[in-house]
Amino acid sequence: MRKKKEQGKTRDDRVSRRDFMSAAGAAAALTFVPSHVLGRSGARAANEKLNIAAIGSGGMGGANIKNCATENIVALCDVDDRHAAGTFEKFPSAKKYKDFRVMLDKEDKNIDAVIVATPDHTHGVAAMACIKRRKHVFCQKPLAHSIYEVRMLTEAARKYKVQTQMGNQGHSSNEIRLLYEWIQDGAIGPVREVHSWSDRPVGGDPWSDFPIMARPKETPAVPETLDWDLWLGPAPYRPYHPIYCPTTWRGWWDFGTGALGDMGCHIIDPPFWALKLGAPTRVEASTTHYKPEVASETYPRASVVRYEFPARGQMPPVKLTWYDGRLLPPRPKDLEPGRKLGTNGTLLIGEKGTIIHGSHGAGGVRIIPEKKMRAYDRPPQTLPRVKGGSGGHEQDWVRACKDGKPASSSFDYGGPLTETVLLGVLAMRLKNIPLEWDSENLKVTNCDEAAKYVKPEFREGWTL
Amino acid sequence: MRDDNKPNETKRSKLSRRDFMGAAAAAAAFTVVPRHVLGGPRNAAPSEKLNIAGIGVGGQGGGDIRAVSSENIVALCDVDWRHASGTFKRYPNARQYRDFRRMLDKEDKNIDAVVVATPDHVHAVASMAAIKRGKHVYCEKPLTHSVYEARKVAEAAREHKVATQMGNQGQASEETRLMCEAIWDGAIGQVHEVHVWTDRPMRGINGLYWPQGVGRPEDRPPVPETLDWDLWLGPAPYRPYHSAYVPFKWRGWWDFGTGALGDIGCHRIDPVFRALKLGHPTTVEACCTIVNDETYPVASRVTYEFPARPGFDPVTLHWYDGGMKPPRPKELKEGRSWGTNGIFFVGDKGMMLEERLIPESRQKEYGKPPQKLERSPGHHKEWILACKGDKPAGSNFPDHAGLLAQVVLLGNLALRPALKEKITRVKLHWDGDAMKVTNLPEANQYLRREYRQGWTL
Repeated sequence: MRKKKEQGKTRDDRVSRRDFMSAAGAAAALTFVPSHVLGRSGARAANEKLNIAAIGSGGMGGANIKNCATENIVALCDVDDRHAAGTFEKFPSAKKYKDFRVMLDKEDKNIDAVIVATPDHTHGVAAMACIKRRKHVFCQKPLAHSIYEVRMLTEAARKYKVQTQMGNQGHSSNEIRLLYEWIQDGAIGPVREVHSWSDRPVGGDPWSDFPIMARPKETPAVPETLDWDLWLGPAPYRPYHPIYCPTTWRGWWDFGTGALGDMGCHIIDPPFWALKLGAPTRVEASTTHYKPEVASETYPRASVVRYEFPARGQMPPVKLTWYDGRLLPPRPKDLEPGRKLGTNGTLLIGEKGTIIHGSHGAGGVRIIPEKKMRAYDRPPQTLPRVKGGSGGHEQDWVRACKDGKPASSSFDYGGPLTETVLLGVLAMRLKNIPLEWDSENLKVTNCDEAAKYVKPEFREGWTL
Repeated sequence: MRDDNKPNETKRSKLSRRDFMGAAAAAAAFTVVPRHVLGGPRNAAPSEKLNIAGIGVGGQGGGDIRAVSSENIVALCDVDWRHASGTFKRYPNARQYRDFRRMLDKEDKNIDAVVVATPDHVHAVASMAAIKRGKHVYCEKPLTHSVYEARKVAEAAREHKVATQMGNQGQASEETRLMCEAIWDGAIGQVHEVHVWTDRPMRGINGLYWPQGVGRPEDRPPVPETLDWDLWLGPAPYRPYHSAYVPFKWRGWWDFGTGALGDIGCHRIDPVFRALKLGHPTTVEACCTIVNDETYPVASRVTYEFPARPGFDPVTLHWYDGGMKPPRPKELKEGRSWGTNGIFFVGDKGMMLEERLIPESRQKEYGKPPQKLERSPGHHKEWILACKGDKPAGSNFPDHAGLLAQVVLLGNLALRPALKEKITRVKLHWDGDAMKVTNLPEANQYLRREYRQGWTL
């Protein structure tokens, strides 16, 4: 996918990039010209800044926007003015919107790139609307709420040749590159078994406070600052309740993707990349159980999801097990007594050894036991590092938008990772059934009921 | 388990067994005479019926009493007479009590045997009081509430030479025997890995469930008129009455029940113990959903490592509850149930789900193992026969149930919230003979607990 960097082209000052790019978007027949033709040499001049808009500007969105503040933040959209107030104040000259569709219509000519940091259920429609207008997209993880949406986004990003980045910032870390290099080096031999776990949904962060309950019956008034219908977006209609927004939507099937959707994109990311896992062929979940009226609304308190990946080239098949709700894999033999398994992490069990790492891009990656780590003759660095590591994740995307070389977790990578994660989420709905997965055709081949979870229906008025 | 209530006949012997046994218990120096001198068990005449008392006779206790009602049910005790009313009505001649200590005092001379089916936290004190009086004891599973109690009760049963049986009725089944015989026959080779699971606590018996992972209620409803709350608490620390505990939901509370593992572990780990001839494990580790000092977690996994035994390699046993299950093997045909309460053996030459090899084609090929074990006349019947001098029942305390209960309850120790952080750093190393955790001394405080004033073992 890498494009050879072209050097030395001078910039045509008469056509600003923003004009050029919006023109590209408007004229479908016009082939997209990579932004590098607009010149990338030397220090970045002020007029070379990207014009960035954001959809979902509170919470995590606020942080992503801040990390892109080297560029022009020209428009901010949020369905709740109050939730976004902090970000709105920080960028007083940005135009403010409630409906991203209105924003994209109005600002089409003024924006190059968009940050999407809405709740999961709106990722798909928002990111797709941007891509179709040929805007570069940074989208929070998981890439979307359903496998179908993810696949469509991945394909569209490729088709429209926009630069993309999923918000799994750990993928820009140095540690994930170490892991990749060690695995390539054969540090622990062929890997057949991987365990990944998260203490969510009871981790302690306020926004990880996943409710486990039936749908509330009371219907409090919608706060004045919130457009509830827009917040719902493509999700089935239900009356407003503060238990959904602004922060606890993650625990609800209709809006979030549970602990696995939330943390899987961070914690499964390193083995998914280093072992080139691709698509699983089989998945099966067990979960805690509870009354149907609760189970049909919110994610379980804990789950174990088992994936099987086929052999890839020289690499043997892999069984990857996901644990959440504070369940853990059995303590590995190589872990010294007294050494903690950690609240979030992954174990890669190889023929010749074991690697452990934490969340967010193989943080704290080590061969265990420590004695073996110290004795390990590390291979030379083969992968380029991302400037700033995890903290440089947004800027890596900004760079990609400017030089045309894909960002670290472009949708070509983030898409398949998210599909794998969401397949596990789907297996939780059909728990205790081993599901055979045909990734190419997006089909569970042995369970027809799965189709409605692969591609859920949108509410009227919403399309991808 | 049919009722076999024959009409009462007159007693032939002037010295009734009940008098005899009461005397035996009263005189400590007096050697207990084996029950068989009182008449062969296989031709028990009606006059040789046991006189049985029940402690905790509602719910499961009612079922147990029914199952031994071929004998004379002479006294019934329950802390809640409304809960016990069905059983009371069924045996109108039995004298009724609230306090088992009082019943044992008053009826000492009239009873040979006692059925204990209280909540878990009262098992040990009730069983022990009966054993010390030389009464035979049938006690519901788990045998006790703590590891220490299980050991002490089993030791006392041996010392007092009483006939005992724990209420894990599955031990008497054909399936358990087939499982043992297939393993011993080498049908799946050496077993290095076993998985045992239950759907408890969230779908209890009869579609009910008991809550775990919840906190102590703050409201103080009045104690129902029919219930003696202080007696219900027994040796447990005092707390105000609430319907969150009684009846039945006590299972989920640390102070009273033993959670999903205590409830179902004694049923489902039992056949594994027999088939693999397990003893004490060398290590135990656990993980679980968020847990507090009031109730057991919603779901857990407990992993035991057992050392090699004569003829058997070391084996790892994984317990899962709350809906967690081991991975379903491909060999299990699609559509075939993986079960809500299962046992899965992984051997070096094959696999068994419950007592059947998988895939089914292997089972068909294999057929039936050679019979090595005697079949059971029935779980309760085994005990009655043992009380009358026949061989010990299959789940008697000293030879089997005491150890099984200790191992099951050791798993609960690994779920204790106060140890949780430390248990993510180590496996607990268990010295079964010395009854102690050797690498985390603070864990040992949970092996037994202080009784409330006025209660002793």
